[in-house]
Amino acid sequence: MKDLDHDGAVPTRRDLLKTGAAALVIPLVLPATEAAAAAGAGAIGAYLKIGADNTVTLVSGASEMGQGILTGLAQLVAEELRLDWTQVRAEHAPATTQWPNPYGNPLFGWQLTGGSTSTRGWYAPLRQAAADARATLIAAAHQQYGGTWVAIQGGKLKQGAKTVLFSDVIATAAGMTPATGTPWLGTKRVIGQTVNRLDLPSKTDGSAVFGLDVKVPGMKFGSTVHGPVQGAKVKSMPASSGGYTLYNLGTAVGVLASDTWSAIQGAKAAANKVTWDLPATPANADTTALAAHASALVTSTTATTYVAELVGNPVIGPKAQKIDATYSLPFLAHATMEVMNCTASVTASSCEIWAPTQGQQFIIPLAQGITGLPPEAITVHSMLMGGGLGRKFETDYVAEAITLSKLSGVPVKLTWSREEDFKNDYYRPSALIRVQASLNAKGGIGAFVYRNVSPSIGLQRGQVSSNNPEDTGAVSGAVAIPYKMGARRIEYVPLDPCEVRLGYWRSVGESYNTFAVESAVDELALLAGRDPMEFRKSLSSDARTTGVLTALETLTNWAAGPGPGLGRGMAYLSGFGSYIAMAADVANVGGKLVVRKVWCAIDCGVAVNPGSIEAQIQGGVAHGMSATLWGQMGFVNGKPQAQNFNHYKLARMNEMPEVAVSIVASTAAPGGVGETGVPCVAPAIANAWAKLTGTRVRSLPFYPGATMAGA
Amino acid sequence: MKGTTMPTYTLDVNGQAHTVTVPSAEIPLLWVLRDYLGLTGTKYGCGIEICGACTVLVNGNPERSCDMSVQEAASRKIMTVEGLATDPEGARAQAAWVAHQVPQCGFCQSGMLMATTGAMKAGHKGADIIPELDNLCVCGTYARIKDAAKTL
Repeated sequence: MKDLDHDGAVPTRRDLLKTGAAALVIPLVLPATEAAAAAGAGAIGAYLKIGADNTVTLVSGASEMGQGILTGLAQLVAEELRLDWTQVRAEHAPATTQWPNPYGNPLFGWQLTGGSTSTRGWYAPLRQAAADARATLIAAAHQQYGGTWVAIQGGKLKQGAKTVLFSDVIATAAGMTPATGTPWLGTKRVIGQTVNRLDLPSKTDGSAVFGLDVKVPGMKFGSTVHGPVQGAKVKSMPASSGGYTLYNLGTAVGVLASDTWSAIQGAKAAANKVTWDLPATPANADTTALAAHASALVTSTTATTYVAELVGNPVIGPKAQKIDATYSLPFLAHATMEVMNCTASVTASSCEIWAPTQGQQFIIPLAQGITGLPPEAITVHSMLMGGGLGRKFETDYVAEAITLSKLSGVPVKLTWSREEDFKNDYYRPSALIRVQASLNAKGGIGAFVYRNVSPSIGLQRGQVSSNNPEDTGAVSGAVAIPYKMGARRIEYVPLDPCEVRLGYWRSVGESYNTFAVESAVDELALLAGRDPMEFRKSLSSDARTTGVLTALETLTNWAAGPGPGLGRGMAYLSGFGSYIAMAADVANVGGKLVVRKVWCAIDCGVAVNPGSIEAQIQGGVAHGMSATLWGQMGFVNGKPQAQNFNHYKLARMNEMPEVAVSIVASTAAPGGVGETGVPCVAPAIANAWAKLTGTRVRSLPFYPGATMAGA
Repeated sequence: MKGTTMPTYTLDVNGQAHTVTVPSAEIPLLWVLRDYLGLTGTKYGCGIEICGACTVLVNGNPERSCDMSVQEAASRKIMTVEGLATDPEGARAQAAWVAHQVPQCGFCQSGMLMATTGAMKAGHKGADIIPELDNLCVCGTYARIKDAAKTL
């Protein structure tokens, strides 16, 4: 276990990206009584609260956005404390500026949720914490009652015929030095089971409180409107519009009203009265101009290039059997079901924030900057998220709510209109990727040269520089692939400048690199005259890769092939600490591609909650399919072209294929799941379509300009 | 609108009468439910009748509440997700949603449940409910919605 060694400073995003499996020692404070927590003692650093009613509440540093993490992490605790599932509760931790952050993900130290890291990061530390809590409670019973005690099912302690509850000894336990290094029970009574999600009843009766649902006494409903193009700033504006005071937020204008609808209407009307400072170079946020620049860079011999991986000296001879294919993917919006929103209450001495957020780590420093208050005056409540998808890492909407409350002097619930949400995203970067590869004498891959040209998230955030563009995120999914590919060179060329605001979209770099890699591998298999499954199995350089490929082969009954009129394609990914292979059957219905069925075999190590894993993969397929067939955000001189779902089509019920999921039994450490289902969808579909029709689609989406009608 | 007389309406929501004073006769039912009555189970998703997160039952029929004015709603019986538990079809739909562990983020599910309940009230059963559901779910819970609906 090694500390990040930052002298108490919060690490930068670059540190986050570079930190591998280093972990912080969890400063576990166990167990805190509810009374102690209410008094503030033990509220920070306490992972478990044992109530007077003998319920056990996990205080989770990871945020729930639909992935089921509160349930999954609570399962770890229930396992080691031998709890009945009905005793188990979970809630979000508060944000803190303590460093090390007691609620930071042990993988990288920060309190944020993303990169499919929560189960990976918390699995061992939380099991250990719960095991140590069990030992501490046993020791407390010994101290309180004498004799030898054991923990038994139901959160109880037993000595002969005598039984006491955890709650009977928590006062004693709170005064003891917590046990350390307690062996895990390892019985897997709860881990590996599809237990019911803790948050589900509340998500069927309207009682779940999402960010959008926060109610604070005396609050006003706010909305903001931003400039018409990327990067616009307020130049001048009237003091009021339509009877509403206008608030200048720099890049937006805010309106407060007695309800959200009035605020949205008021903000829209105000937008026409604002003069905006527009960026000097609109072409830098113009899809057509950016695509032309990318086309030049993808073949340029002089472009500034980051060689992310070099194995041998790949040379593609003139007589080699080879491919030279260029794949293109668009900018994408996150389009979470819940629009950006945040509630804030700022006074002269305090700031309270209710945010649907994946990025707690950033919020107190942000609020300090806006309010000038010390960190101890700032409280952050993490609300349930109506989807995060990477968008709710960002804090732009949180900053707007804090500023509106500060300027107006009243609590404010800020809600963006859907149009503002589409217009002001941190978009998934576009990508233009060229693959030049050749076969060797045995019909395997002899040389593989890969160039990704895409705008750089890292460059936009100052993590890398134009002349040293080591954006590791941009090539994730293209490097360290466990395939025998002969000599290879993996290059990244930043599409710079780019003034489209960029961000992390579910499955990040893999969302575009896996499309290029796995399409190219399919094209190479075709060139070699080999079956795509057999080809990949022959390329596999590790057992877990072979394992998921074989599992998919079995699941699909690969040798039998698809039914009449269908084409079957496949793809594979090692990513997020997991291995996945996916196949898709597609049909040609009047010239249009329809996805009929998708199969997935996943090896994500220990499967904490198989039902949740299945749900995440099914969801990943839906998300990936929407992006493959229809997803696209165009920009004309900085103006986002899709501003609501009518121009940003997503899969509906009737378009959703059946998804069969097979989880490969594994005792390896847990891998990530939330994003793992997304990247293989596009190549599996494109490969299936190529098989069915002979037409190779290298440019996504399949159907640009798709629209969606109302009810 | 400020400076004008604010209209007052009485709404029948989940069997209870609510009197609200709102800024405009045009304010959609969605926002009256959420911001004036505090019934936040009904969600805002798109405001243009596409996503269905705002679906409620109006006289038993599923309607997008983002595009129904308070004025229109005032003479009808409204049911929201908060009223489902006391509705025979609604309670069955809720139970099926839990049994099949349908929701992920859950944001669209109020609308999904209202659309499902409406379809049941219109006489649809089992798999016949599925074509009636055109709401968006970005999490992609469609497979489990289908499984749940088939039991209704």
